[in-house]
Amino acid sequence: MSLRRRTLLKVIVLGDSGVGKTSLMNQYVHKKFSQQYKATIGADFVTKELQIDDRLVTLQIWDTAGQERFQSLGVAFYRGADCCVLVYDVNIMRSFDTLDNWHEEFLKQANPSDPRKFPFILLGNKIDIDGGNSRVVSEKKAKDWCTSKGNIPYFETSAKEDYNVDAAFLCIAKTALANEHEQDIYFQGIPEAVTPENEQRGGCAC
Amino acid sequence: MWKVLARSSGATELNDFYPIRPECQADAPAPRFKPRAGKTLSQRRWNSSFDAEGHLNIAKVLRRIQRGGVHPSIKGEVWEFLLGCYDPNSTFDERTELKNRRRGQYDMWKAECQRMVPMIGSGKFITTPLIDEDGQPIDKSLIGVQPSNKKVLQWMQVLHQIGLDVNRTDRALVFYESEANQAKLWDVLSVYAWLDDDIGYVQGMNDICSPLIILIENEADSYWCFDRAMRRMRENFRTSASSMGVQSQLATLSQIMKTVDPKLHEHLEDLDGGEYLFAFRMLMVLFRREFSFAGTLYLWELIWGMEYNPNIFAKYEEPERAKANASPQTLSDKILKQYGKFERKNVKTGNAEESSALAVFVVASVLEIKHRRILNEAKGVDDVVQILGDITSNLDAKKACEEALKIQKKYLSKAQGKK
Repeated sequence: MSLRRRTLLKVIVLGDSGVGKTSLMNQYVHKKFSQQYKATIGADFVTKELQIDDRLVTLQIWDTAGQERFQSLGVAFYRGADCCVLVYDVNIMRSFDTLDNWHEEFLKQANPSDPRKFPFILLGNKIDIDGGNSRVVSEKKAKDWCTSKGNIPYFETSAKEDYNVDAAFLCIAKTALANEHEQDIYFQGIPEAVTPENEQRGGCAC
Repeated sequence: MWKVLARSSGATELNDFYPIRPECQADAPAPRFKPRAGKTLSQRRWNSSFDAEGHLNIAKVLRRIQRGGVHPSIKGEVWEFLLGCYDPNSTFDERTELKNRRRGQYDMWKAECQRMVPMIGSGKFITTPLIDEDGQPIDKSLIGVQPSNKKVLQWMQVLHQIGLDVNRTDRALVFYESEANQAKLWDVLSVYAWLDDDIGYVQGMNDICSPLIILIENEADSYWCFDRAMRRMRENFRTSASSMGVQSQLATLSQIMKTVDPKLHEHLEDLDGGEYLFAFRMLMVLFRREFSFAGTLYLWELIWGMEYNPNIFAKYEEPERAKANASPQTLSDKILKQYGKFERKNVKTGNAEESSALAVFVVASVLEIKHRRILNEAKGVDDVVQILGDITSNLDAKKACEEALKIQKKYLSKAQGKK
């Protein structure tokens, strides 16, 4: 089974409606930003190949509908995920407040083997708006939340200005890859030293 | 403004009917629909299909619609009949009276909504929440009355979601550069969500409603047309904690594929795609993302023409009487001609499954087009999605519908053989 298996990493992007999930994905994969995006219906995905160290991996990024009424589809769509990306809008408090719900709901529906170790990443998007004057969620507040969830890496991004998008997704890919490793090792029954806890540096520690 | 353009006809100015913003033209898929003389229902033929009192020869217009669609200059008024807003057997006077009554009714409903949320009907709309998580108003000036019960609360909670989606609906079209037009879409969806509180608002309803807002100038009339469109589709938008309504159409799709193409179905099952979730969006927004704007309109009128049932008006307007009349009458050839091709076959074979809409067979036809590639190349559901993604804007609506009818025929005969 391990022979020549393509390394496919499945990433799920979640967050409230309108926080910029589709825009972030499109900026990362197609290098463009448009004001004309449509609301995502159900789920959609894009893929991107990238090299991590000496490995070629295919990142399969699943974009999801933000309206909570689509949540029942989670069981089907989250299956086999390697990493979950949570997105909120730094200018809208509510989109930050609902993160707990998205986090919890993902774990419930994806049902990973070890929920405490399943990798999440948080993106605070739209930091470009009004030069940052309209933001209502401080970086500290977001980081505190990340710490409380077991040191989730945090990035502040602007899909519109292409700020920090590549860095965030590289971290996402590395995190997903690391998680996949652990799962493979787990299935083969070979124990390996657990990687030391990520040191929070306002970004990725992998 | 649409009416002014209607005088000239032909293919070249199709984009004049649904102009695209210059900066979006590069990204917009080319419209594959062209009005064709002798095939497309023209304005002249449409006008000549009414007798002096206004009775419409529906059989005559259905023939044209199913062959070549409807000319852009008359789409709105034709769709009102296709969707069952009006009875072809009524007179001009009867329809005018009904229209006025409905406009009055809509105005009352809208005024009721406006009392709760004054922004409705103001020409503007909201995109940020009115109500916080504890059910308290965030900005009291935006609320006309304190939410007194669950129905009001739930409705107020969904209004900003509608606004967020209106902001993202067909923005490539010049039509939605106008805030007033966006607000018209918001108003209609908001009033609908208030009245149909069972469904409320679910993302995707904006995609269904938007063309009606563009094609039908009067807001009340477009509301009623949307209401009739939703009668066909609302079960798809029903959500619960464990499932979404559209999944019952997906189950029908699975059933159809298993019957007409067991090999492909088995392959999809092996890939863990037996639930056909990859077709979710196609059914939910009726292929709006797979076709260009003009192409979708063409596909929709083909589908609704083929699905047409002469009892549709009564079914919605006088459900009790329609039920009483539903006992199989002797279906003469003359009456059968008043049915669309798809519905006629259902009626003849006694197939009455609600979830087996023509759209489901259209998805099956799309899968059949890609039969070989899916069998040979797909090694995961993601590959299936990718292969189907390639069809975007390459689909020919007419061919897809014709193919869908063939699959329906095959399905019905195989399913009957089993009985």
